Amino acid sequence: MSEPVLVLEDLRVTYRTSGGAVPAVRGVSLEIPAGGSLGLAGESGCGKSTIAGAVLRLLPGTAEVSGRVLLAGKDVYELKPGGLRAVRWTAGAIVFQGALHALNPVQRIGDQIAEPMLVHQTVSTPKAAKTRVAELLESVGIPARRAAAYPHQLSGGQRQRVLIAMALACDPQLLIADEPTTALDVMVQAQVLELLADLRRQRDLALLFITHDLSLLTTYCDRLAIMYAGRIVEEGPSGDVFAGPSHPYTRGLAAAFPRIGDRSSRMAPSGLGGDPPDPAALPAGCPFHPRCPLARPECREAEPALRISGPERRAACILV
Amino acid sequence: MHPGVTPLVEARDVHVHFGTARAVDGVSISVMPGEVVALVGESGSGKTTLIRALQGLQPVTSGEIRIRGAEPEWKGRAGRRTFHDPGIQMVFQDPTGALNPRRTIYEIVAEGLRIQGRRDDEEELVATAMARAGLRPPERFFSLYPHQISGGQRQRVVIAGALVMEPSLLLADEPVASLDASIRGEILALFRSLVDESGLAVLVVTHDLGLAWNIADRIAVMYLGRIVEVGAVEEVLAEPQHPYTRALLSVVPGRDEKPQLLKGEIPDLRNVPSGCRFHPRCPLLQSGLLPEEVAARCVGEDPGRIGLEETRAAACWAVAR
Repeated sequence: MSEPVLVLEDLRVTYRTSGGAVPAVRGVSLEIPAGGSLGLAGESGCGKSTIAGAVLRLLPGTAEVSGRVLLAGKDVYELKPGGLRAVRWTAGAIVFQGALHALNPVQRIGDQIAEPMLVHQTVSTPKAAKTRVAELLESVGIPARRAAAYPHQLSGGQRQRVLIAMALACDPQLLIADEPTTALDVMVQAQVLELLADLRRQRDLALLFITHDLSLLTTYCDRLAIMYAGRIVEEGPSGDVFAGPSHPYTRGLAAAFPRIGDRSSRMAPSGLGGDPPDPAALPAGCPFHPRCPLARPECREAEPALRISGPERRAACILV
Repeated sequence: MHPGVTPLVEARDVHVHFGTARAVDGVSISVMPGEVVALVGESGSGKTTLIRALQGLQPVTSGEIRIRGAEPEWKGRAGRRTFHDPGIQMVFQDPTGALNPRRTIYEIVAEGLRIQGRRDDEEELVATAMARAGLRPPERFFSLYPHQISGGQRQRVVIAGALVMEPSLLLADEPVASLDASIRGEILALFRSLVDESGLAVLVVTHDLGLAWNIADRIAVMYLGRIVEVGAVEEVLAEPQHPYTRALLSVVPGRDEKPQLLKGEIPDLRNVPSGCRFHPRCPLLQSGLLPEEVAARCVGEDPGRIGLEETRAAACWAVAR
């Protein structure tokens, strides 16, 4: 098998705050093969967006990072500034949520897409950049003549497409999408995600897709990793994990997305109850135990490690 | 549909126009005691404008609104008429933004009562509303501030603030869209239990068909200012008739069908397409499989409005009626 495009080895991220050290990611190891896709799911504050930032070294100065991040074989935290600039955009690119804030409101979208290409010299002349911008816009379903438009002249769905075009500008091997469609309507969301799936097939692009919406990840990713309180608590092939979760947290999260037509969820909304824990004050033992319907006394004592729970599956629960 | 029962709220051929933009363009809908009705549609479908009109906040251009069978007490001059009926209460999305961080939970819940004037039984009413919203025992929450309680509890405070007015109808605009997945279930369960236990009715505006499946009795699908399909949730979601409903259902993640992507986005309300307003995006029409005479109607003739009395209907020329 070819070299994985992304490897995280015992990644830890701690934010220094006035109230003390807050651990956001507490030892995450995962791998995405070239052209593969991994969905990272969890509630607010579980550390999933911190991972997105850590991969491209985009975290604020208050974040302390340890462990290793290998992007296209390069250790991102060993790179000098020049090398780091080279891997950003060309090895891995990121599509953020909220396209309105990620785009510069006073710059034409064509110029914004051209910028990373000129900086990374993947094109040599402004004219070549222009041609490439036109290709990229067409590939995300926006007419090339719209290159002269400003962000406010586009709809929310079109702006998200522009961000995707920008992320693809330097032909990365990995795309990181952090809640790329949260603010969009359902039909527009489906349009954007189907576009992303097509582009991935055409370009053999790997995807790290981060969202709280487990049902989306099941549709668009080969594998799923479920995060809780800064750790992965379950991982495996996405269809298997969604249909038959091993960890009680995954089970609760999956139940929040009912299958329309499934009689058992009709007039019976379900969820976990309670709130995600405060990263600054995690409960002792398994951090999920205060919300776990199956918790036993021993769950308060030690935090369980990930163990094999099925073919290509792991879960961190003593009941597995 | 419910013979002999008076609807809590009823809209007949309601229009709300903003200049040339027809946000609500001839909608009839009713909500009966003890039911949850889901009003489903994308941004720009007019669903939020419609519930603002039903709440009395948004003057209507034409049409009739009846509250518990009677004309509401209109205020203001013609064309700008609004009404206020304490029996209809609104539950907003985003509990964090809806709650004043400097007020205690007690003061927040009591606010609606106080606007109407102080009363002796205030504490009792506040405690009852909080208990109904699942904040039990209520006294434990009285002196806390919003930041001291969980996200799920904050949404319950918002709901208690509506319940304290002892409404017969709750209007909820995307009540769980901004909540974490785990909280979603408990809040939806609360709405359903309020309806089942006390005969309250809920009209919930959402883009989430899973929410309708979870708690609603009936569903109305809106597109560009009109209701295009209406019926019992089981029927509409199991066998959608209107091509728009079918497409919306097909893009719900995790379904075993190929997503039917509609081209483009909802057109501008100032330029409602002629004929059937959905025809420029309609996959059925674009398939070329419709008989020529039907296709001609789709382009040239408005399929009209769905009436109040219909229990199951779709505004589509290709659907046998």
